[in-house]
Amino acid sequence: MQENEIAALVEPVARLLADRCAEADVRRIMASETGHDADLWRALAGLGVTGLTVDEAAGGLGLGAVELERVLEVAGAALLPAPLLSGAVAAAALAGTGEPLLAALAAGERVAAVAFAGALDWSGGDVRVAGARATGTARFVPDAAVADAILLVTGDGVFLSEPARVVPLPVFDRTRRLADVAFDAPARQVADAAAAARARDVALVALAGEQAGAAQRLLEMTVDYARERHQFGRAIGSFQAVKHMAADLLLESESATSAARDAARQVDEGAPGGEAAVALAAFACADAFVRVAADSIQMHGGIAFTWEHPAHLYLRRARSGAQLYGDSDWWRERYLSALEEQA
Amino acid sequence: MTDEQLTAEVEAWLAAHWTGAEPHHESFGRDPRSVWLAEVRDAGWAVPRWPAAWHGRDLSDAQGRLVEAAFARAGAPGAGQDRTNLWANTALAHATGEFRRTIVAQLLAGEVGMCLLYSEPGAGSDLAAVRTRADKVEGGWRVTGQKVWTSGAAVADYGMLIARTDWDVPKHRGISFFFLPMKQDGVTVRPLHQITGEAHFNEVFIDGAFVPEDHLLGPLNGGWSVLQTALAYERSVMGDRARGPRSGAGGAKGDLALLALAREAGRLDEPVVRQQVAQAIAWRALNALNTRRAKAELAQGSSSAIMSLGKLAMSRILHEEARVRTMLLRAGSLLEGPEHPRAEDANFLALNAYFTSIGGGTDQIQRNIIGERVLGLPKEPEVDRTVPFREVKAG
Repeated sequence: MQENEIAALVEPVARLLADRCAEADVRRIMASETGHDADLWRALAGLGVTGLTVDEAAGGLGLGAVELERVLEVAGAALLPAPLLSGAVAAAALAGTGEPLLAALAAGERVAAVAFAGALDWSGGDVRVAGARATGTARFVPDAAVADAILLVTGDGVFLSEPARVVPLPVFDRTRRLADVAFDAPARQVADAAAAARARDVALVALAGEQAGAAQRLLEMTVDYARERHQFGRAIGSFQAVKHMAADLLLESESATSAARDAARQVDEGAPGGEAAVALAAFACADAFVRVAADSIQMHGGIAFTWEHPAHLYLRRARSGAQLYGDSDWWRERYLSALEEQA
Repeated sequence: MTDEQLTAEVEAWLAAHWTGAEPHHESFGRDPRSVWLAEVRDAGWAVPRWPAAWHGRDLSDAQGRLVEAAFARAGAPGAGQDRTNLWANTALAHATGEFRRTIVAQLLAGEVGMCLLYSEPGAGSDLAAVRTRADKVEGGWRVTGQKVWTSGAAVADYGMLIARTDWDVPKHRGISFFFLPMKQDGVTVRPLHQITGEAHFNEVFIDGAFVPEDHLLGPLNGGWSVLQTALAYERSVMGDRARGPRSGAGGAKGDLALLALAREAGRLDEPVVRQQVAQAIAWRALNALNTRRAKAELAQGSSSAIMSLGKLAMSRILHEEARVRTMLLRAGSLLEGPEHPRAEDANFLALNAYFTSIGGGTDQIQRNIIGERVLGLPKEPEVDRTVPFREVKAG
């Protein structure tokens, strides 16, 4: 898609989220039992967002990681608490399979969650798929408690299995619900290892986009506040101690945006070097968002130490994303390994 | 003209004129390529976006890039100076009369050498505090003062000079911008030795040097705004101008040099080393991605905030790379000399990183610029902004 087409795709989503996913909505959904707003999900489905990367044959828009990343920037900016990322990863895992789940995902009628396991496990689970049977527990699976179907994505391929038990976890970031998922049932392979690897890349790129978008929005909010808040007879943003932090954070958030968009492009193009680009985005965006969120609280001062101020919601989201699919040190190591392999 | 026709025309012209190596001629201080550059200028390729009356072809920015691309493919220099030639752009924008016609033509062909006469011992970050004076005399001005950090001064024909022409108004309003002829009595150039031991810069002592009437750029006492356009050009290229290792023995080229050095040091299996090498490589990779995105956004006609971040990013990259190189060498970094090229590189780069983090506006000034011009944060109150310069404390 050209830049103007992407803008046309993203703009209605941003408008919907401004209207239906304002801070008060985020807080209401956070406080709810499931952390999921079915009405908001239907509204997103109405814009095609739930089927963004679902094959056109299955009623989706058939778009790529580039477009998904841009939509996730907008979702991240609004701290959207919805199974959007999970659904997009499921769509990537099932691409071209003709599974009936795809059409239901696109229509927003069903919600999918994805448990990375085996060689793609980042979170200390012990799921094994052997002899057409899945056993063990996948840990920290996003959106599992509201999902109608849970995909197992391992180094060997993509599997569907009925979970034995889904245990919601008490999470620090209540805008992203996690659960432990225990398996002990037949597992049906629905896609190969290449699809699994692509699903992993899509997950990382989508998360990177979410982090970049959230960092951009939070920095805007912080700069606005630094312009309005007066102490010592001056806007605090006129003090170099504050201004210089803002300049440094702009470099962080813009670098994150560049990295996320580049990784998305490389995933779509299947370019050599794509693995390094995805790994770079994974740690650069996570680190950037954590830093922007942390420094934004400091720049606001006391007001951001209150529960009522939204800054901590961003810090919580930043901290959850930074651990969800492997931490930054792990991805820095993967980045260097990928560069070594290229060299 | 379609893009295809334009590209074909440039390629045909290059095929007829470019032999693969520009004819050199001896001309100390001037661009040794000036015969070739004059050909490029006269053909209209030097500044394709400029008007035809000014050596150009009235092309759009996008078409100008096609011209540059054709030259790049042929390996021929000289095209696209409407984007890159600081001196010619400044002269075209602000010079007047016959001098404008002459100097612009000479600058595009590299027929005159240039230097910058901005900073002074007492006016670094606070450039508007310059104390070099230009006093009106018959037919021009007499200039007296001291300038620093001037590269190319010994061989330059002209210096772009800011000097004070009115001491009784606030500092920004009493400065004028000149092309000062350098080859005259009253201009003395001395090399300035840097912390690296090299001397790429000079001090310039000016004692009653003469600058003719028509070498004033912009209005009298209007030099500050002329300077701003010139500085904007300079900053935009600074991010790409950082230098590599001095020894040239850095091993692998570019981004992966640190990886090769870590391997050579036998330390690629240490997790802490791997993390730091990866992060240093990542800073550079991220800056390259930013630059590419900024260029794409500019090409689409939207203004890009990212461009202003490059110099600040490069400061961090250079300081971090030098730190990681030193870490890899450990006590080996205590040595110097040609027998120890890795130590030479690490130590040189650790010192030379300040060229980027101080030169062309310190990182701190750069953060002010980003904060104020990009993010729209208010300026610090300036206590000397409304005071006649005569009464300002500086230095």
